[in-house]
Amino acid sequence: MPITHEGLAREFEFVTNPGEQKHISEAIDGTAPIMQEMAYELIVGNNADVDRLTQEALTEGFTANQVLDDGLLNGMAIVGVKFRDNLIFVPEVLVAARAMKAGMTHIEPILSASGAEPAGTVVMGTVKGDLHDIGKNLCIMMLRGAGFVVHDIGVDSSPEDFIDAAEEHEAEVVGMSALLTTTMPNMGRTIATFEDMGMRDEVRIMVGGAPVTQDFADEMGADAYGDNAVDAVDKAKDLVKLLAELKSS
Amino acid sequence: MAPVIEKMTSRERTMAALAGEPVDRPPVCTPTNVATVELMDLVDAPFPEANRDAEMNARLAATAYTELGFDTIAPYFSIIQESSALGCDMQWEQKDNWPTVRMSNPIWKSSSDVKIPSDFLEHKDTRAITDSIRILKQEFGDEVAIVGKTMGPWTLAYHVFGVEPFLLGTVDDPAETMKSLEALKAITILYGQAQIDAGADVLTIPDHATGDLVSGEYYRRFLMEMHQEIEEELDVPLMLHICGATVDRMPYIAQTGMAAFHFDSKNDPVEAMAAVDGKIRLVGNINNPTTLYARGPEEVRSEVNAALDAGVQLIAPECAIPLKTKLENLLEIPTAIEDWVAERGQN
Repeated sequence: MPITHEGLAREFEFVTNPGEQKHISEAIDGTAPIMQEMAYELIVGNNADVDRLTQEALTEGFTANQVLDDGLLNGMAIVGVKFRDNLIFVPEVLVAARAMKAGMTHIEPILSASGAEPAGTVVMGTVKGDLHDIGKNLCIMMLRGAGFVVHDIGVDSSPEDFIDAAEEHEAEVVGMSALLTTTMPNMGRTIATFEDMGMRDEVRIMVGGAPVTQDFADEMGADAYGDNAVDAVDKAKDLVKLLAELKSS
Repeated sequence: MAPVIEKMTSRERTMAALAGEPVDRPPVCTPTNVATVELMDLVDAPFPEANRDAEMNARLAATAYTELGFDTIAPYFSIIQESSALGCDMQWEQKDNWPTVRMSNPIWKSSSDVKIPSDFLEHKDTRAITDSIRILKQEFGDEVAIVGKTMGPWTLAYHVFGVEPFLLGTVDDPAETMKSLEALKAITILYGQAQIDAGADVLTIPDHATGDLVSGEYYRRFLMEMHQEIEEELDVPLMLHICGATVDRMPYIAQTGMAAFHFDSKNDPVEAMAAVDGKIRLVGNINNPTTLYARGPEEVRSEVNAALDAGVQLIAPECAIPLKTKLENLLEIPTAIEDWVAERGQN
C-alpha cells in the first residue's frame, strides 16, 4: 500500500537514494493513518500535534513500540535524510527533535517498563573545553529511539569523565562530540587516555560533530565516525556487533 | 610585463591585499588567532590571563609577527570578550584550553532583555583588547597591520540566548529574531569603533551563521543587510569570518561591501573564488585540526599552494588554531608563500 498521507508522501519525495527509498517506504507502507500523520507532523516540527497524536494512538490501543517505529522514527528517518542532503539545517532539525521529544514523553515510561533487551549501552559526551551540545543531544535522542541505553555525561567532559562513565555503566560504545576545531584534538587525547588506562579494547569509540571528518577520526584513532545523528545510530549498531565478535573470538 | 612591486611592509601588504591592490607577495593573515602554548611559554603570557590582561595579551599577540613572520597581529584571541562584559556565565579554562561562554546558562530570553551596560567599554575584558591594541600600535606603528575583532550579532545571540533557544526562535518567531539581532548589532558597532579608536587597522567580524548550522538562505534573510549596515558604520576594512561550509552563502557575503571573507577548509578554494566572483577578497583556508595540528610542514605547504593557485588573496589558518599546534607548521606558511612567489612570480 503506498503512503496515503498527502503531506508525508510529499516529504518522501525528498528521499532520492534508491536504497533509502526502499527502506523507508517499506517502513511506512501499510502503517495506520494516525502514524503517517504523526510522522508528517514530526517532520514539519508541530510538537503540539505530535503530542496529541501520540496520546490518541496510545488511547486507541497502539503499542508504544508501534508509535515509536511507525510514527516517530519514520518521521525522523526522513528528517535525517533531508538534513544530510542539506535540504534542511539545524533549526529545522531542532523543531523536529522537539516534536519527537513531545511524543517520547508519553512512550518512554512504557518502553522502560517493558524490560526489553537494549540494543547496547553508550556513553555520550562533548569533549573537554567544548560546551556545545545540540549535535550530541540529537544523537542521544536517535540512539534512545533505536533502543540503546545512553548515559549522557554532558559537555566539557574530560578523558577521565569518559573513562569513569564507561566503567560505571559497562558501556560498549563511547561517543564523543565536538563543534570547535580548537577542541577536536581532545578526542585524540581521550582515546590516548583509554589506551593508557588499558581500557581501549573494552569499548569501541565513535566521534562526530560539525568540523569532524572521517580523516580526522582516523588520525585520532577512533573506531567510527558518524556524519549525522542517523549515521551515528548505524555506526553504534555496527560497533556493538563488532565488539561482541571481538570478545567472542 | 607587469612592473615588479618593491618589498612592502607587513601593514602595507595586508592593507593593499584587502583593497584588492597589487602586492609584493600575498600576506599571511590572522583574522582569528594563532596563539599556541609554545608561544605562551616563550613570552610568559599564558591563557587564560593573556585574554584578560592587556600587557600579556599584547606580548602574546605580537608573536604572530615577531616569531611566526605573519603580516598581522590579532590581539583578540577568543570570541568571548564582549559576552563577559555583558554578564554571561564564563568558563575561563586553563593554559591549554580556550575560554568559553556557558551557553547552557543564557542571560537573556528576548530582544527586550538586550541592554548594553553603561560601562561596557570599561569592563576588564573589553578593555584588555582596546588597551592591547594601543600598546601594539605604539610598539609597531605602521610596520604591521593590527587586526581587531568584534563579534557579529548572530554570534552574540548564541552567547546571550543560548544556541538552541536562539535557533529554535528563528523558526518560531523570525520577527523577534530580527529584533534581537538589530539590538545586538549595536554592540558589534560599539566595540568595533572602540578598537578603531584604539588604533586597529582592520576588524574581523566573526558571525557564525555556519553551513553546519543554518542554510545560505538564512544568511540572506537574517544577516546580509545587517552586515551591509555594519560595513557602512565601521570605517576600516572588515573581514567577515564564518566557519564551516559556506560556498552557498558566499554570493550573498560578496554583496556586503566588506573587504574580505575568511573561509574554512570545508570549502574548495577554486569553488570559493568562483562563488564570490571577484566581489570580495578571500582569506584562508588552511585546515586546522587535521593539517596544522596533526600533520607536518609538507601538508601545510600543499594547502598554502592550493589556496594561492586558486587566487586566494590572503593566506591564513581557517579559524582559531588548536593551542597545541606545532610552531614548525605555522612557520611553514610564510615560507611556502615566499617560495610560491619565487616560483610563479608576483601575479
